[in-house]
Amino acid sequence: MTIAVRRTALLLGMAIWRSSVQWWSFRSFVITLVAGRTVTPLLGLFVWSAAVPGDAGITTYYVVLLAVQLMTVSYEHHTLASDIYGGDFAVELVKPQPVVLDLLGTNLALRFWHLMFGAPVIVAVALLAEISLHGVDLLLALPAILLAAGLRFVFTYTLALTAVWTQRAHGAVAMGETLIFLLGGTAAPLTFLPEPFRAAGAVLPFWSMLGAPAEIAAGNIDAVLEVYAVQLGWLAVTSAIAVVVWRRAVRRFTAFGG
Amino acid sequence: MTAGAPPVRVDGLTMTFRAPVREAGLRAALRSVARREYRTVEAVTGLSFELAAGEVVGFIGPNGAGKTTTMKILSGILHPTAGEVQVLGFVPWHRKADYLRRIALIRGSQPIGGPAELTVMDSMRYQRVLYAVPRDDRTIDELVELLDIGDLLQRQVRALSLGERMRAGLALALLYRPKVLFLDEPTLGLDVLAAGALRRFVAEYAARTGATILLTSHYMADVETLCKRVILIDKSRIRYDGGLDALTTRLSPYKLLKVSVADPTGTEWERFGEVEHSEDGKVVLRVRRDEVPAVTGALLAQVPVVDLAVEDPSLDVVMDRFYRDGIPS
Repeated sequence: MTIAVRRTALLLGMAIWRSSVQWWSFRSFVITLVAGRTVTPLLGLFVWSAAVPGDAGITTYYVVLLAVQLMTVSYEHHTLASDIYGGDFAVELVKPQPVVLDLLGTNLALRFWHLMFGAPVIVAVALLAEISLHGVDLLLALPAILLAAGLRFVFTYTLALTAVWTQRAHGAVAMGETLIFLLGGTAAPLTFLPEPFRAAGAVLPFWSMLGAPAEIAAGNIDAVLEVYAVQLGWLAVTSAIAVVVWRRAVRRFTAFGG
Repeated sequence: MTAGAPPVRVDGLTMTFRAPVREAGLRAALRSVARREYRTVEAVTGLSFELAAGEVVGFIGPNGAGKTTTMKILSGILHPTAGEVQVLGFVPWHRKADYLRRIALIRGSQPIGGPAELTVMDSMRYQRVLYAVPRDDRTIDELVELLDIGDLLQRQVRALSLGERMRAGLALALLYRPKVLFLDEPTLGLDVLAAGALRRFVAEYAARTGATILLTSHYMADVETLCKRVILIDKSRIRYDGGLDALTTRLSPYKLLKVSVADPTGTEWERFGEVEHSEDGKVVLRVRRDEVPAVTGALLAQVPVVDLAVEDPSLDVVMDRFYRDGIPS
């Protein structure tokens, strides 16, 4: 491992730790965030369990979706956009490290606390719903969860960068969240959508961010490699877009002031 | 940076913004939706100056003059519209890591960034990794002693007073021994004691390390204590660049004669100069510089003087006059 990679890993580790300590002090707020994030998967669970009674697959899917939701949450509209509005972004620019590093650390710290505070809910719902999971499916879901987490971070990060152009970056991120809710597998599992929405949903990025890992973990997908490929493809595309938007955002920010 | 080159060289630095404008009222608001109008605002215009190694220079001027914009350009936050800048041989807005490790921007309004829940020592450890300071470097110990922050190391940043936060912020910023410091209002909000201690530390640091320092402050005591040279900026342009003493002479053609007498009754003070203040036998006269010797002689000859002192007006008074009347040609 080169010195640069080791230093970057160390800085990322410190960023996670620093942010974890900070967000622990805001734990009441984090708990409200967790509660907000658990509502839609639970709603989906109740509605679809009633609509399709006795389908163990749907119950398992929504319980896993709840876990994936908490492991992939992104709040760059609270972190990056607030830094831009508050002037702290200027300070980040003069640190001798990539600006994204601290934001990624904060993102991972928040996901850690979401999982910690959300774990009792996940376990309780899993026990009540009497779901059964298979180890192989869970292992196959791990890469999909990592790709979904990366994809959702890059997606939200890019939307939050609109704070450089507008005072309403929260609106842009909220629009993205709505799309994830509708087409990501929360409003309805993708398999329940009629064609051509089902086919379109499978290749759009939103399902890759949330529903895909849950479907794999629930054992509902055979063509797992295809899902990975779609996720990887979208991660590459969104990362490329993020780089372009970042460059334009920094150019504008440095031209108009912090 | 080539040998002998000044660490900071600014040539023709210009920064303009396009700010949207419109008339008041509903009709103008609706019209601006279809056709937005802009006005070009000059933040800084044609600034040129150099800072020598080890120099501590005051960068002063009224609010909105362009001080902070210049600081932001020099530290790499802003990209100017025109002009050339070299700091330690780097173009600041390229924000190369090697450059950022050699400079520090210290803002009195926010001396410590990052999570406030962490302790000062946590922040120092992070800073050490961020700026690649070797583990065996003793700078932390030196700074802890010089700034007297030993008791603060285990305390959370959020629990520090403003003065403590500034001292800790300075330690964090100087941990990696930056060659050029941009101090933006470092004594903002500090009490007299804390501000004085901070000035003494900055002066000592500059003398010990030979760092180049550009300082903005609205507190003239900062400038008088730390800077032999000042750059005066107003309405985006440099109005003066030179010695602080010469600035006082140029901006204020008057001196103050402070006279104490045993019996103040019966003296017509207006004959000697403009009376600035008079109370309990102590009179302050405003006298033209070229008339000071004659007036002093006349006072000593004609008035039973107990004590007499000739002083320049304070820099605060001088600057107040400049802000109101401009610089005399």
